[in-house]
Amino acid sequence: MEFSKFLNSSSKLNIILIISFSISVNSFVLFPNVNNAFYILFHLTLIYLIFYHYHYYLYVLAFIYGILFDLLLLNNIGAHLITFLSLLTLFIFLRKYLIRLSSYQIIFIYFITLVILLLIEQILAILIHNYKFNFSSFFNFFLISLIIFIPTVFLFTKLDK
Amino acid sequence: MAPKFQIKAFQISSLVKNFIIISIVTLSFLLVFFSKSDLYLINGIKNISSSVIIPITRAISAPVNALSNFVDEYNKFRSLKFENKILQEEIIRLKKWQTLAIQNSRENKVLKKLLNATDNNLTLVKTASLINRNDTLYTKLINLNAGYDDKILKNMSAINERGLVGKVIDTTANNSRVILLTDPNLSISVKSISDGIFSLLTGKGDGKYLVSSFVKENKMPRLGDIVVTSGTAQIFPVDLLVGKVAKVEKNRFFVLPFVDFKNIDYVQIVTSE
Repeated sequence: MEFSKFLNSSSKLNIILIISFSISVNSFVLFPNVNNAFYILFHLTLIYLIFYHYHYYLYVLAFIYGILFDLLLLNNIGAHLITFLSLLTLFIFLRKYLIRLSSYQIIFIYFITLVILLLIEQILAILIHNYKFNFSSFFNFFLISLIIFIPTVFLFTKLDK
Repeated sequence: MAPKFQIKAFQISSLVKNFIIISIVTLSFLLVFFSKSDLYLINGIKNISSSVIIPITRAISAPVNALSNFVDEYNKFRSLKFENKILQEEIIRLKKWQTLAIQNSRENKVLKKLLNATDNNLTLVKTASLINRNDTLYTKLINLNAGYDDKILKNMSAINERGLVGKVIDTTANNSRVILLTDPNLSISVKSISDGIFSLLTGKGDGKYLVSSFVKENKMPRLGDIVVTSGTAQIFPVDLLVGKVAKVEKNRFFVLPFVDFKNIDYVQIVTSE
């Protein structure tokens, strides 16, 4: 894997971000859970980038991905854009507290942030776009998050090393 | 050892950084606020998302798509023998129905002439093929390869050989977006064929059934009744096939659509004259 040596971990995470975005906005009839899994992987990658590789260019990234997710999945701009930008803004204020936490505490907060992010997106979709809340789809998100969370954290840690 | 590739960012002062961040946040709120309006900027972004971003995302997700197609083909191949037997039986059954249909069609023409009745005058605008679908997460949407250059306009109906598929909600020059019947945010006014009971149907959210959100005079249709568009809301043309009543409860009923939403390749965009 000579090619991987040329890229730093931030670039690798950005590639994961692009791939997971592309797969999550194209539905596959036979594997609907693939979309859900990559949708969650996108969120995990974005949160990881914000937590461990914060740079102000992430605002531009969150802005672009937020708009594209909203337009491709909801046909109106709103839920994802607001959520991504709010997460970034919140992180700036809470960064000094997060630094003091242990690695286990950060991983716990990482998971909680993911679940809250998914929930807020659904709530905003209800409020802004009149989308009907589907508890089964949220439960499905939660279940997939539980399954893929540890392997994803392991993968990201490997990438960072 | 290969040197690490690193992007050298410009040293921008914190004032400029803050300005960029504040500009992005302000622009975001403006976009959210005006997203449902018909502004040039919003239309431009929508145009880019469907004509540039969708092809790129399709190219990136091509391996998964290829795998999905392979599994689909394999499943079809496995059931080929069984399907062949069913189709042979279906051909015999359809031949009997064809004879009956030809007789009924002749009779229908004669009766229409006698009654001086008019047709629903459906006009085919364009037959378009599916580019991609976004029906797993949030809304149930499909993207088509024809837009306002092909005279497709918002609120036109999308049908296929089985019946009503959905409604056009967005068009760009070469693409259009159709919301499927199974989306919980789409309501259609329908009537049952046998009793003429008027009701409103919306998607249940599971992608399979439609559920009644309003039934006129609380009269429930019978199980197995065929439901067609009533045309009363002036959005969908009258008498387009929707589905069959699959379950009736005290205050609501469920309809199983005729269209197989998992197997849509082509749709016809129609409008009533």
